[in-house]
Amino acid sequence: MNIGGWIFLALSWGFIIGLCIFCLYKVLSKKEGLD
Amino acid sequence: MAQKSRQSWGSKLGIIMAVAGSAVGLGNFLRFPVQAAQNGGGAFMIPYFAALLLLGIPLMWIEWSLGRYGGGFGHGTAPGIFHSLRQKNRFIKYFGVIGIFGPIAVLVYYTYIESWTLAYSFFALTGKYAGATTQAQLQSFLSAFQGLEANRYFNSLQTAYVFFLITFALNIFVLYHGIKGGIESLCKIALPALMIFGVLIAARILLLGIPDPLRPDWNALNGMGFLWNPDLTALKDPKVWLAAAGQIFFTLSIGMGVILTYASYLKKTDDVTLSGLTAVGMNEFAEVIIGGSIAITAAYAFFGPAGAQEVAKSGSFNLGFVTMPAVFSRIPFSAVFGFLWFMMLFLAGITSSVSLAQPAVAFLEDEFNLGRKRALGILTAVFFVLCQPAIFFLGKGVVDEMDFWGGTFCFVLFAAIEAILFTWVFGMDKAWEEMHHGAELRIPRAYKFVMRYVTPSFLIVILGSYILSEGGRNTILMVNVPDANRPYILGTRLLLIGMLAGLVVLVRFAWKDKR
Repeated sequence: MNIGGWIFLALSWGFIIGLCIFCLYKVLSKKEGLD
Repeated sequence: MAQKSRQSWGSKLGIIMAVAGSAVGLGNFLRFPVQAAQNGGGAFMIPYFAALLLLGIPLMWIEWSLGRYGGGFGHGTAPGIFHSLRQKNRFIKYFGVIGIFGPIAVLVYYTYIESWTLAYSFFALTGKYAGATTQAQLQSFLSAFQGLEANRYFNSLQTAYVFFLITFALNIFVLYHGIKGGIESLCKIALPALMIFGVLIAARILLLGIPDPLRPDWNALNGMGFLWNPDLTALKDPKVWLAAAGQIFFTLSIGMGVILTYASYLKKTDDVTLSGLTAVGMNEFAEVIIGGSIAITAAYAFFGPAGAQEVAKSGSFNLGFVTMPAVFSRIPFSAVFGFLWFMMLFLAGITSSVSLAQPAVAFLEDEFNLGRKRALGILTAVFFVLCQPAIFFLGKGVVDEMDFWGGTFCFVLFAAIEAILFTWVFGMDKAWEEMHHGAELRIPRAYKFVMRYVTPSFLIVILGSYILSEGGRNTILMVNVPDANRPYILGTRLLLIGMLAGLVVLVRFAWKDKR
């Protein structure tokens, strides 16, 4: 894999993992349940 | 007639998992890597993320908001939801028919394909295909299983039909237990399980090293390079941008009417912005990180660059049911990894198929005031009959036809309609306010412009490109269809038209009763 491949992979994975952590943290830090 | 109280979700995480479960399907693991490898590798991710931000995420928020809004009026499907947007308009509800028709048209062949994954996970454990190690042998195994030829593996459709019956029954079982007890319970187990299976398989593939010491270049790292090394010249090709937009559209289950139905079981004050974005994140994790690490990488490591190219061109089914078993047959514990692969696909499939059925169930429950069991009883019979052409006429192009009209054309059309109705007919200011009721995440104001202008335009361009493309024109005009298959294709079209007309009549009856 060339350097360009690594850059695109790191940016894509980083964005997605960051999005998941941000969202799940916000969802789970609130009181569970719909009420 | 007294209105029945509607079902509801048990927890916020439950609906997020259900929506993510609906979005994570076979396409995440089979379609995405093929699309990326064929459309510029790493460079594909530029139009992919552009489409995610301008099309996928806004439509996700629109559908969650529309669904919750309609649910407040007791409507869980598009006809009723659209009617609640502008109650004075008598015709607006008929646009919503597509939001019930599309999922049914897909469900009736998707359930059969899902049953193959269940069958293959069983075959992996029992060693049924263990003797077939080359791609040619596995292709022969698949064709015999599908009833397209008789050979030493299978001489009839019997085995496939038994697995279809089991899969069909499992779907009905989940739906029978309702939103909280059925769909939410399934997704809370199935989604984490399939993610774990996917991570295990991806880790195994990435740790393959050099499978054949005589060919040191054929390794997992170069396999990842095959998918990720960017070809920036591909960005000049409009087809690459359309392919990325199409992939985002189909991976997120938007334009199907499913999210509308799921969100209709929310309360007015429940958040939709953060929940919608979380479901997007989960789907992208399954698609880009897990899906992007398994199939093409493994194909490259075992079959080399030319082999991987060949596999990418041969399509998703070939990748899933022919190439991957061939890959697993070459590594230790092949039965275990084969089972994990097909069970992962099955879990991805069943969380999607129950979501495809739910709009029809909700339609009968909400608009005809039927109990869940009665509605499901009627639909079980209808779905079962409608599934049969996909099973018995698979080799005649019936599934491709259903996929084009139900799974491609109608989804894009419906998404364009709902985006226009919500932002233009309902009005952007009211829509914005509706989205932010109970919101735990404020949407950037730039999205007012995106949702009103960019997203609908993007959808109209995609729809136009499908119709005008060579593939689309050939499908619509039945070019390249062998003469022997024409009656089956025409029969499928008549069936689909009949379904659409039947739904229009049902909507008319439902509102007549309401008057």
